[in-house]
Amino acid sequence: MIEIYISFCQKHTFICIAVFITFIPLIVSLFKKTYREASFSSLLIYLITKLVIDLTMFHFASIKQSTVVYYNISIPVYYALIGSMFYHKFETTRYKKWLIWSIGLFTLFSIWDMVYINPEFSNLHEQQLVFYSGTVLSLLMIFWILLYLYEIMLLLKIPNLLNFPFFWVCSGFLLYFSSLVCIAPVLHYAEKWNNPLDIGFVYYVPYIFEIVCAIFISVGLWNFSFESYAKQ
Amino acid sequence: MQNSEQMKWVLLIASLAMILMSFFVILFIMYYQKRRFEEEKKLNDIEKNYNRLLLDTALNSEETERRRIAQDLHDDIGTMLSLTKLSLNQLNKMISKNGDEKEESIMKKSQSLVEETILHVRRITRDLVPTTLERFGLLEAIEEFIDKLEEDNSLIISFHANTEEFPRQGQKLELTLYRIMQELVNNAIKHASCSKIEIVLETNDRFVSLRVTDNGVGFDPEKIKENNLAGLGLLGIESRLAIVNGTVQYEKPLKGGSSALAQIPVMPLSENKPEPLHPFRRERVNI
Repeated sequence: MIEIYISFCQKHTFICIAVFITFIPLIVSLFKKTYREASFSSLLIYLITKLVIDLTMFHFASIKQSTVVYYNISIPVYYALIGSMFYHKFETTRYKKWLIWSIGLFTLFSIWDMVYINPEFSNLHEQQLVFYSGTVLSLLMIFWILLYLYEIMLLLKIPNLLNFPFFWVCSGFLLYFSSLVCIAPVLHYAEKWNNPLDIGFVYYVPYIFEIVCAIFISVGLWNFSFESYAKQ
Repeated sequence: MQNSEQMKWVLLIASLAMILMSFFVILFIMYYQKRRFEEEKKLNDIEKNYNRLLLDTALNSEETERRRIAQDLHDDIGTMLSLTKLSLNQLNKMISKNGDEKEESIMKKSQSLVEETILHVRRITRDLVPTTLERFGLLEAIEEFIDKLEEDNSLIISFHANTEEFPRQGQKLELTLYRIMQELVNNAIKHASCSKIEIVLETNDRFVSLRVTDNGVGFDPEKIKENNLAGLGLLGIESRLAIVNGTVQYEKPLKGGSSALAQIPVMPLSENKPEPLHPFRRERVNI
């Protein structure tokens, strides 16, 4: 089994790095005890969920079984977890309300998207990636990140953004979802498990930025100090 | 095939454009935030300096006014009282010749009242302008202040300094410390119901520190800060210290009472010589 994993890693290096790099922010988060702060506890849950889903997909992909269904399920879950992280960070009550509504609506929308595209769950190999959910997720995430950055610019509470952990987290996610927003619609429309789409190196761009995102999150978490964070 | 190649390029360029945009957004936010903080800091500094200047001017005016009143008391009322005393002495001699006891006793009473008034005027003049401070320095001024207080009260006031020869400081610093000491001791007498006050004056290369401790009822410094209960006296101390970049800390010692520690950074001595005792100058005083 290990040989299968190794051979899969050799074939899809970027994808595998993107899976295993989640360990770094996860370890940093536990080491720095970031879970004591509400938004970072959401981030920790997101990292754990992401790692579990990614490892499951890695396992099934290496034994040549379809992972599309896991990917489809992961989209609303990720949105709910990242959204709840921003829910704790926003100071404007109006934004918080919008965010809560968007989580509920997006979950319903992605369920509809999943059922509409894959009416038959039995044939896993014919399963398709959700058409719209991935793109909508990227657009919504970019919107919330920009809104949050706008809010911190207006409030002027953080003197040095480079020392502010959540700024790194936001920057990482912004870069990742920006890299995904153009590729997701093409991939999700055209690709199937039995008929992968060949778009060359572009296919790896989101994975590269997933790695960049994990590094940014790790740097942010490393800067975390509960005592000083509570004051900010 | 050509379409697939074109799509790859379109996707690559679109993705790179998005990533670059995000990257520039991040950089812009960092730059904008930094600039706004710098502007905010500059504004705060200007406001702080302006407030400091206002306070400085207010305290300078207060000192000038004290000096003017002291001068008027000494030059006008003091002189008049001395002349009155002389006239009364002459009158007393005339009355003594007549041998009327009733007149003599009224005269004696008037003379003692005038003498008492002269003493009061002198005391008020000294309180208004601490001439000992200007001539001999902080150590002597505090000692004189304590002596006068002990005359009128049953208080035990002790005073220690960490050096025998306390070096002269700038006029402003000495006056600030003296006024703070006066305020703290007066507060202890008025509000603390204490029987013992300890004043400690220390200096090193960087700071001059004044600690006033009493054994009275004490107060909770945190409560005063939280509830904005500081009276004019405490606010005055803070205002005076703000001008000379000093700080004050109020503590509640375990053994009871209260303690206040004022610290002021040592300032270079100014060229100005101390004001003469008398006659007072009529010009504006810049401390």
